[in-house]
Amino acid sequence: MDIIPQDAPVAAAPGRTAHGLTVRIRTLPRPDKALLNLLFGAALLALVLGLAGGLLTALARAGALRFYSDDAYRLLTLHGVSVFFYWLYLIQAALLLALAAAENGRGLALRPAAWAGAALMLTGFAVSEWISATGTPLLYDGSPELAVDDPRSVGVFALGYLLLAAGLAASAASGIATLLQPRRRGETEEFGAVGFALFAWAGFLIVSAIAATNAFLPGLLWALGAGPFPADHGTEWHILFHNLHYLPLMATVLVWYVLTEHLTGVTSIHGARLSKIVFAAYLVFVPPTSLYHMFLEPTLSDGVRVVGSLLSLFVSVPTLAAFAIIVSSLEASARAHGATGFLGWMRGLPWSNPAMANMGWAVVNMMAGLTFAFVLIQGDLAPMLSDTFFVPGYFHLFAVGVLTQTFLAALMVMLPALNGGPLWRPALLARMPALVTAGLFLFAAAGIAAGTMGVPRRVFDIGYGGLAPAAWPVLMALVGIGASLFAAALSVSVYGVVRTLLSGRKAPATDLTAVAWRVEPSRIGTAPAWTGPVSIAALVAAMYVFTIAAFQLIQSLPIAAIGGGHGH
Amino acid sequence: MKNHEILLMLAIVAVWAVLAAVYAFVPSLGMPGYVRVWGGGALLFLLLAAVLALAGQGRSAGETPRS
Amino acid sequence: MPDPRHFTTRRGFIAGLGFGAVSLYGAWAAYGAAPLPFGHTPSAARASEPVPQVHDHGGSAAGSHDGHPAAATAESFRLDHEAFLRTYGQPDGSVDPHAASHAGGHSHGTANGSHADGGHGNHIAAAEPVTVYLMAQRFAYSPDLLRLKAGQAYRFRMMADDITHGASIQLGMASRIVRLRPNIVSEQTVTFTKPGEYLVYCTVYCGQAHDAMQGRIVVV
Repeated sequence: MDIIPQDAPVAAAPGRTAHGLTVRIRTLPRPDKALLNLLFGAALLALVLGLAGGLLTALARAGALRFYSDDAYRLLTLHGVSVFFYWLYLIQAALLLALAAAENGRGLALRPAAWAGAALMLTGFAVSEWISATGTPLLYDGSPELAVDDPRSVGVFALGYLLLAAGLAASAASGIATLLQPRRRGETEEFGAVGFALFAWAGFLIVSAIAATNAFLPGLLWALGAGPFPADHGTEWHILFHNLHYLPLMATVLVWYVLTEHLTGVTSIHGARLSKIVFAAYLVFVPPTSLYHMFLEPTLSDGVRVVGSLLSLFVSVPTLAAFAIIVSSLEASARAHGATGFLGWMRGLPWSNPAMANMGWAVVNMMAGLTFAFVLIQGDLAPMLSDTFFVPGYFHLFAVGVLTQTFLAALMVMLPALNGGPLWRPALLARMPALVTAGLFLFAAAGIAAGTMGVPRRVFDIGYGGLAPAAWPVLMALVGIGASLFAAALSVSVYGVVRTLLSGRKAPATDLTAVAWRVEPSRIGTAPAWTGPVSIAALVAAMYVFTIAAFQLIQSLPIAAIGGGHGH
Repeated sequence: MKNHEILLMLAIVAVWAVLAAVYAFVPSLGMPGYVRVWGGGALLFLLLAAVLALAGQGRSAGETPRS
Repeated sequence: MPDPRHFTTRRGFIAGLGFGAVSLYGAWAAYGAAPLPFGHTPSAARASEPVPQVHDHGGSAAGSHDGHPAAATAESFRLDHEAFLRTYGQPDGSVDPHAASHAGGHSHGTANGSHADGGHGNHIAAAEPVTVYLMAQRFAYSPDLLRLKAGQAYRFRMMADDITHGASIQLGMASRIVRLRPNIVSEQTVTFTKPGEYLVYCTVYCGQAHDAMQGRIVVV
């Protein structure tokens, strides 16, 4: 395959230009830098704790380690709480503030709110970790019914998340005020695509805080003797849980926009307005599509079930649209520079830059994850797949492969600018995403197969007195091997980022590989750009294959059931 | 024009408000939390749309827009 | 002036790609799982199922969706479940809803329940489903061993007694899962088409001994 000719212009990182991301971060006021370092550090600590808990959990499920039951479920609780709440929310708060401050060009507005937000979130972090390690294991959803006789655990657990929610709201308020400053100064009349996305994302973070409060305040009040037992926790949790899925995905796409411009100089060739519509579409589409999480609920009415099933088909619209915008913009720009070959243009991307490598492999993981997400959202398949290991099997592709790798990519660009030191061993870091993906694919393949066979999500001993199928432990051993591989590779990436965070100014930062593919609009788009449409066609074909396979399987079972796993 | 940004915010408000209203007026759906979260969200985004509309008006008369 | 751009780089085409996954509706429709009448055909499983649709009598603590007081429904379930165990319990601890009818049988108290017809082997889909009860509680099922017949339809009435549980039946290449909320009665009509011993296990984390929560269904 051909690639971009050698005479195509290749520039140093765009961050060296006056308007670049890294220059803006480098020139942030010192208090803002201190706050961002604190939040990035706390987020990475949460990731390390979550990663360790997850690896131990996977090894225990593979039969390689033995824990007492309560300890095993405490580990699982620590894993979920650390990763799904504190890593993902802390890093989102930190990235929101960093990108908003960079957009503003003059640092953060409402700085006391940002600091108060950080203090609340870190207090929540400490509270949640402590009760997860010492209290009744409640898993990351903190279901009160698991500790009816232990209100202290329920109350403290809820308090941790409520503090996190309050901190998120305060941080988002600072982010919103920061984004509005250029307008208030009269420097601009409208946002760019990234500015608008940040504004909407900040609002969505506050909504997520409302959802967390809605889910966990009743538990705290009950524990304090000030309210009834929160019998509806499961339903309220679903709202937050759905936010927990899609809020970071919106953040991921936003980071892809930012990094694409930073690494290649390319912005959307379709104009900022389409990108704004896509980011708004996240908020429009995502809430109404939440019902598929509840397909196994016995109280779900048929009407809601039908509507939920239909709407769930739209859940990927903004993500696929954003993917198509980014890929078509990159391909069209590359071809305007003379790139040829069906996929050869991609070899011109700066893959030796670890941020690019992480982002590129994140896209691969997204395609695989989406394929199986669409098998899971089919209501008639829920009685076979929900509550099984199919769920963690596929969502680790998102949580680790897409979200975590993307956010680490952002840190690999931002931290050297923030602190003035170099990125730790970029050549090594650039190799890790492929290894992470290999481990994840093994984890996911074995986990999805195990879940399809019925292995439940949250069971450590799957022997069932010898009644379980012989394939179950074999598949879970493969899950453990996959988890070990991606955890090891991800640990290297995290170590590199932490070293960079702590490096200070011991050595001067050097710009990593980037390209400059931006061209004037008149030269763009005359050549076809098939990568996006072909990728999406392949994705849909894969969805068809696995959905049909799942239907065939459920129909071949030696059982005929009416009721679909829910009480009609 | 920043009008399209406000329109996008209002589109979000409209969808969320309809969602909240459906759950509010059809109690048999059994999910009052949707009313609180998405109703609250709709109010928040209505406020943000208003803030967007007002933000450009607050600048001092002596300043010149950059772009 | 015509747009010089190739159609693959035009805005409308790119926006349309976002809706690519919606086309999966076609696969759903082919298997009768489409949510709208458009493309909806009864699935093979549903078409082959001769027994009438049954309905949940569930409700939340504040009352069920069909207007029945949840507490009353849960309480009547408990009574029916007790009667079911008493009537069909066997000396080895299993429960065989066909055994009592051999012995003369008597009602186990359900409003619409029927008994087995004497157990004539593997007839496919006897006309009337036999009602069986399954109560889930920390960390066991009651009964934990059910003896059923292949080809006979069973109306499973199920409820969690304390907190949320799952009841998954392992069927070889896959399982069939029901999520059981406390004091909410779920019903599902099930016909086993092959004899065998099937593992029943909890799929919703319910506490320390969640791993040990299991039962068996022996189908002859």
